[in-house]
Amino acid sequence: MAKKEGNATNDDSSEYYNSIGFLCGLEIHQRLATKNKLYCSCMANLLPGDAIVSSIYRRQRAVAGESGNIDMSAKFEEAKDKAFEYNVYRNTSCLVDIDEEPPHELNREALDVALAIASSLNMKFMDELEPMRKEVVDGSNPTAFQRTTIIGMDGNIRIGDYSIDIPAMSLEEESAGIVSNNGNIAVYDTNRIGIPLIEIDTSPYIKTPKQAKEIALRIGTLLRISGKVQRGIGTIRQDVNVSIKGGARTEIKGLQEVDMLDTFVKNEVIRQINLIKIRDVLSGRNASIGQPVELTGLLKGTSVKVINNSSKSGASVFGFRLIGFNGILGTEINPNRRLGSEISDYAKMAGVKGIIHSDENLEQYGFTIGEIESIKDKLSIRSGDAFILVAGDQYTSKKAAKLAIERAEYAMIGVPKETRSVLDADLGTTRFMRPLPGGSRMYPETDAKPLLLTKAAIDNAIASAPDIEKEISALKKDLDDDVLVKQMLLSPRLIAYKKIAGAVKADKKFVANMLLQKFTEMKRQGIDADSIDTDLLESAFMRFADGRLTKQGVEEVIRRLALNGGTVDEIIKANKLERISGKALASLIDNIAAGEKLEKAQLIKKIMNEYRLNIDGAELNGLLGR
Amino acid sequence: MYSDEALDFLKSAKVNVGDEIRATAKDLNIEGEIMPNTEATNRDIIVIKLKNGYNVGINFRKVKVTKVKSGSGMPGFPKSNLKQDKGLPNVSLIYTGGTIGSKIDYKTGGVYMLVKPEELFYEVPELAGIAHISSNELFSISSEDMSYREWQSIANEAEKERRAGAEGIVITIGTDTMHYAAAALSFMLKDLHIPVVLTGSQRSSDRGSSDAFMNLICSVYLAAKSDIGEVGICMHSSSSDDKCHFIRGTKARKMHSSRRDAFRPINDMPLALVDIKGNIEYKNSYSKKSDIIGRAITGFEEKVALVKAYPNSTPDIIDFYLQKGYKGLIIEGTGLGHTPTSTRDENGSWLPNIKNAIGKGMIIGMTSQCIYGRVNENVYRNLRLLKNAGVIYCEDMLPETAYVKLGWLLGNYKKADAANLLNKNMVGEIKERLEYDEFLV
Repeated sequence: MAKKEGNATNDDSSEYYNSIGFLCGLEIHQRLATKNKLYCSCMANLLPGDAIVSSIYRRQRAVAGESGNIDMSAKFEEAKDKAFEYNVYRNTSCLVDIDEEPPHELNREALDVALAIASSLNMKFMDELEPMRKEVVDGSNPTAFQRTTIIGMDGNIRIGDYSIDIPAMSLEEESAGIVSNNGNIAVYDTNRIGIPLIEIDTSPYIKTPKQAKEIALRIGTLLRISGKVQRGIGTIRQDVNVSIKGGARTEIKGLQEVDMLDTFVKNEVIRQINLIKIRDVLSGRNASIGQPVELTGLLKGTSVKVINNSSKSGASVFGFRLIGFNGILGTEINPNRRLGSEISDYAKMAGVKGIIHSDENLEQYGFTIGEIESIKDKLSIRSGDAFILVAGDQYTSKKAAKLAIERAEYAMIGVPKETRSVLDADLGTTRFMRPLPGGSRMYPETDAKPLLLTKAAIDNAIASAPDIEKEISALKKDLDDDVLVKQMLLSPRLIAYKKIAGAVKADKKFVANMLLQKFTEMKRQGIDADSIDTDLLESAFMRFADGRLTKQGVEEVIRRLALNGGTVDEIIKANKLERISGKALASLIDNIAAGEKLEKAQLIKKIMNEYRLNIDGAELNGLLGR
Repeated sequence: MYSDEALDFLKSAKVNVGDEIRATAKDLNIEGEIMPNTEATNRDIIVIKLKNGYNVGINFRKVKVTKVKSGSGMPGFPKSNLKQDKGLPNVSLIYTGGTIGSKIDYKTGGVYMLVKPEELFYEVPELAGIAHISSNELFSISSEDMSYREWQSIANEAEKERRAGAEGIVITIGTDTMHYAAAALSFMLKDLHIPVVLTGSQRSSDRGSSDAFMNLICSVYLAAKSDIGEVGICMHSSSSDDKCHFIRGTKARKMHSSRRDAFRPINDMPLALVDIKGNIEYKNSYSKKSDIIGRAITGFEEKVALVKAYPNSTPDIIDFYLQKGYKGLIIEGTGLGHTPTSTRDENGSWLPNIKNAIGKGMIIGMTSQCIYGRVNENVYRNLRLLKNAGVIYCEDMLPETAYVKLGWLLGNYKKADAANLLNKNMVGEIKERLEYDEFLV
């Protein structure tokens, strides 16, 4: 097949992906909706308005793991020479969260939820749960590790006509949320840390980007219907691992919107294909990389702003030669991404703003032709070569050059193993975050004792396991509309729907349509109805069921709840939304009709113009038909 | 340790701890390395380290185990060969145990304390740039297991190191009883006249967030660079990793069970603050370093005790110690230095028992369980009664320091001198003036 040479974006078949040696697995992280955190008694919710009691300053360093080696990615973070500041909150962080007190007992509520979900995923349970420490040195945990425990193994989930294995699921602590990351100090909030989180890992045998998205959606649905998971931005995150034959495993971290997941995966495949192509071209050109050369003296008095602004104490500039790289640095490997951007990501780790390379328009930077010539001269650039410059203070620019060279050298080897983060959520592109962590990041958490899994706990898990098929048939019975059922199943509003439909005697289709179509309409208008507490929504529908609101009235109440808050009754009263029906409606009709001779249609129009929100159209029609 | 049955099971499968195995059961297929049992729940549980690093535990009765590959044994900890700069000040590092040198023991899942200082240097290479370090592992004892015999060994070792040219000494030690050791060494090494810095950690050094790294670096800086000729404790001054404080050995106390800034100066200011770059900021008056090398005075009377007075406490405790042949007692009294004295229940008063014990030759010192402040023998009648009975009021001395001091005095001085010296300042343990800002420092 000639497909290998074809454009990857146009071929979504599993045959195509099979032919390029596509491997893809998901790691799904979901915060649980428990009362307390996993290892302490702080509340497991971010409490709006919780006060910051203090900020503490910490440093972390890589230490030798269980196998006696310092993990490479941990070492890399240390090399960044970072300090961390942790905001400590009044109600949502305690000494456990800031590494000043050993963990308390594992939260049983969280364990039960995790076990129930594991049961839905057909996982095998262990007899003794072994809490581990997973080393993290990016500062996102004040302990420098994350507590994590395998809950179940060897499970699977079925999606239509195929299923995917779930080799493992773990229960772990949420990390601290990053507030800012400027230069040498990263600031984190400790209110989020320690919220129970489950991680569900699939096998790497997802066949296509489309499947990756389907599986993520399916697992997301399962988690949601459990009713025990947090909702909202950041409460679920997908990490995707992708590789192709001749490429390398890349982990894309922290995808929040599942809609773009397939695009991210596709783009990663294309990126790896292009990097392999670049490698082949470079190999044909006999490419190599030169040593860094200081160009500070040569560029003294330059009017290039990015150089002059790169350091307060006087910029130093380092450059190096890339033999045989002409045109390669500017080669697009992903939408808006070039090899130069990849190299730039590495250099930025040293603290520079970016790199300057010879495939760019150097005169636009403000280089004079003389400067360009003397740089070329100093770096011994010949035709067919390229060069890269970095600027900053002496230490930073030197370090940046070293890191840039490291990445440039890898262009001749192929695809580096990397953890990447989202760069552009609309384009589905990513950027280098850190090298992919190795295997030596895990060691036993001796402060938290292993836990015997009892039969009672397992029986309870099996009994309370969420079941998608059951959920579908219940929705079908309620709604009798396959499209609506499917939409509801995939919707984050499913839990709210179930609560409202269960409690209120109102037309379930009306409730479903309101939560799906109307909420989405409002969202487009910038009204966030999802922020409304489910109990408030329930009481709005309750007023409808009691005959105090029309359908339009319910929508109006919801709109106002989202915009201004308050209670349902307050809104009804303040905005005169009370439904007019029965005798009141009849006398209203009489009043309006009196003195004027109007056709029925005109009368309806006149009444509805004024009382659209208060009158049920059908009732009006019925009364007039009398 | 595994149960005998589990061991038999592993033996019959020809599998040892450390081997790579496959464990199979209905619908279950696990590959990994056999780890030791955690001893936390059930000794029949086989612990398997999976390829992804996680451990899982399965009862041996549920699985079939086959060996995939023999294990290569537990890897050792990497060591560093420090390139020592002879131009730097000589600092001797005496390792005695505690969390600062502790590592996870993958064999038992516990924390073990047999780490060589070279292993610490692997993790704290900065030390090589601060001082010319000679290190030795004196012993490895948990803080709670330490006794005066270990304090004596440390003191003798310190003197030896001083005579061998050490300009400063750093002692890594468990934190729980570090302030007792610091007080003891303050007296035993009062004539050494160089910085003797005790340090430890509240978070074990196998985690990236450990306080051990900064504590050690700051301690070595103090030992190498400061002109303080006293014994003290150098630990985090706050929860942040920014500065350590150096607290006089007789005025320090562990005031929190887990925080890294647990050690506080009591009735005193820290002698100095020191940061990770080696900047030392002196905050108090202190004895200066000198070239005079005196002997370590290491005698210690073990028949000395520390007792606490509290509501409903019985004075029988005094009789108990008297019968056991104790020579000295420090009471941690209430407030200004009370014990129950004029109780409505006549058996509740400590006074007769105290009088009796003193009459029989016991030295009894009074301190306050308030921790902060000074005892006073004159304010209340009951206090005067105790004083008249011969109780020695120990000024603003910490109960733990007074206890250690009395043991040391009785081990090295005649009884009458010991009684006389107990409430006289010798090494900064007693201050005549308490200043306003020395509370809750």
